[in-house]
Amino acid sequence: MDAANTPAASQPSTSSTHPSTGTTEIPPQRDAAASPGATDSRVWRAGRLEPMPIRELPDPPPSIHLLGPTVFLVALGVGMGEAYMWPRLVLVFGPEIRWLFLIGVTLQAFVMLEMARYAMATGESIFFGAARVFKPLMWFFFAVAILVYIWPGHLSTGAAAFEQVTGIPWVVTACVGLILVGILFSLASVIYPLLESLLGILIGVLVIGTAVAASLVGRWSDLTATLAGMFQFGYFPEQAMSAAWFPVLVGAIAFAGPSGMQQMWYTLHLRDSGAGMGAHIPKIRGLRSAGNEEAMPSRGFMFDTDNQQEMRKWKGWRRWVTFDAVLLFWGVTMLVTVSFTVLAQTAARQSPDVTALILEGDREASLTAMADAFASAGAPILRGVFLGFIALIGLNATLGLFDSFSRGQADMSYHFIPGMKRFGMSKLYAGFLWGVITFGILILLFGPADGPGAILDVLAFLSTLAMGAYCVVLLLVNNRMLPKPIRPGFVPNLVIGFGAVFYLGMLLYSLFRFGVVVG
Amino acid sequence: MKNHGELALPGAVIGASAGVVAGGLALLVGQPAGWAAATAVGLGLPMALAGGAFGLLLGAGIVRPGVFAPVGLYWLVAFPVARLLHEVLAGLLIAGRPALPADPLGFLAYQAMASLGFAIGFSWLHERIAPGWLGRIRERNPRAERLYGFYLRHAEAQWKAREGRRRARAAGRGAGPATVLRNKGES
Repeated sequence: MDAANTPAASQPSTSSTHPSTGTTEIPPQRDAAASPGATDSRVWRAGRLEPMPIRELPDPPPSIHLLGPTVFLVALGVGMGEAYMWPRLVLVFGPEIRWLFLIGVTLQAFVMLEMARYAMATGESIFFGAARVFKPLMWFFFAVAILVYIWPGHLSTGAAAFEQVTGIPWVVTACVGLILVGILFSLASVIYPLLESLLGILIGVLVIGTAVAASLVGRWSDLTATLAGMFQFGYFPEQAMSAAWFPVLVGAIAFAGPSGMQQMWYTLHLRDSGAGMGAHIPKIRGLRSAGNEEAMPSRGFMFDTDNQQEMRKWKGWRRWVTFDAVLLFWGVTMLVTVSFTVLAQTAARQSPDVTALILEGDREASLTAMADAFASAGAPILRGVFLGFIALIGLNATLGLFDSFSRGQADMSYHFIPGMKRFGMSKLYAGFLWGVITFGILILLFGPADGPGAILDVLAFLSTLAMGAYCVVLLLVNNRMLPKPIRPGFVPNLVIGFGAVFYLGMLLYSLFRFGVVVG
Repeated sequence: MKNHGELALPGAVIGASAGVVAGGLALLVGQPAGWAAATAVGLGLPMALAGGAFGLLLGAGIVRPGVFAPVGLYWLVAFPVARLLHEVLAGLLIAGRPALPADPLGFLAYQAMASLGFAIGFSWLHERIAPGWLGRIRERNPRAERLYGFYLRHAEAQWKAREGRRRARAAGRGAGPATVLRNKGES
């Protein structure tokens, strides 16, 4: 039997349940004890956790607006995979290999839409949804987040590029950057609008700059080859099936767009932006304004899926998030990789050294060599532009990653660690934020930034494993914890199921066939 | 004329940023000031003109704000033209004679493809910058007032929705049904 449709045993006999939705009526005499503000006394039961009260779904935005929480996914997702890993694979295997990138990013766009389905319908994070299915699943993600994301290694490439442009040592930039991020998020009265504005401007500049840079140095032939390569389905050179390259390829596919737990964190940003039922959940505040925080409800809310008016609003919200997924997420991610691939092809044509360095796999050396190639080929300005973008990508990722990590851990701690509610969500957020910053600075100064060498493979394994696991969680949560009228259809289920098999299958194949986890 | 200039300003600034950022970075990496200025002017000028003209179309009500398709179509034409002018102007300023790309048609086709990216970035930034600027000039500029009205209605609708949600939350906290459920031991 569907857990979502099972009324609790303790439900009074006077209540009635709508079989199609599992919405349970609470008898009027009980509701009379409630305040006049209680507008609806029905609840939606999902799993064994507290039922969700039925509330009104807010109206979708009156027009399609161009900025939304997707800005976080773009900021997190457009990273080194797009700027370095895929251009490198194109130089090694030719543009035809890009069909795998198309699959990877399209899969991630579907994941994004399905993550949004649960978050917008309930105002709960996907972590909460996982706990409704089976609590240890959520604790798995809690542990993976700490193991994978506390290492500050992601700062190094961006800070190194900044060092190339300004001469300031990268460790100094990274440490100062960490402290500034902490101060910024602690002083803001409400975190979400600040971060959205900041990342909005940074990504706007990145997108404009990347497009202009690619238009200055690229060629029609590079672009058509890159675009045509995206449709060479099935192309898989023999060399790619080697212990040296297969894990790299798996890593590049998994890291096309947002990787690891970034999609799960997106549900928290959706909620904080007030999308769908997230409107009924208060926003997270900075430490300075934590005293003004509204009490966080102990669970999310559901809307009445039997009401046609509410379902019309739901369709409006789905259109809104689909626009975000297609144009902003898929479009911008594609644009940045295509542009960087064109840049890499241009650099390789101008300087054979670049090809050699890229093939060797030294990321920082390759990026610097690409920048130098532009400088020596009569476009010196592009050296600065190129390195500036790498630094900008690093900054975006750092801002987004630290905020997202702290949000996710605070959300799980608040709801599921006994005694944590007394601190309030904002203080827990600040605790995780400053915890990860302090640890990051200590590691940058005294330890291995990427994490201890011996566990690097384990971290890469866990990161990809989390992606396969969240596909499974998505299938369970959306098909069992949501009312039938808003559950995913056949196609989204098929694609997410394919995602689970794809991520887990490739990961395990790489491990057992070659004895190597993703590269 | 002044009214038109004010309307055009946000788009012109974003358009010019393409050239200004490029010129600034050229200076940062040690290029001669003349070279940097030529690039900044050669690219920034046509892009600023095109960006400003887009602002005028918005002000005249020909293009609807907040929608991507018109921005994409506009830059599909304007971006390649601006890049062609950039090539010509940069040649004129640096070498003293205008220069055309070797394969003008292939060049324009490539730039048209690259324009999509610029269009996304342009509309992204324009939606952030324009409402604030229009709010400042609307009292003396009727067209700005009209355009600002669109953003205002949008913001009001969102504000009303937010206030409604805040009230609903406050009411729900009083003694909502969930509290009743917990009191009955139905967590």
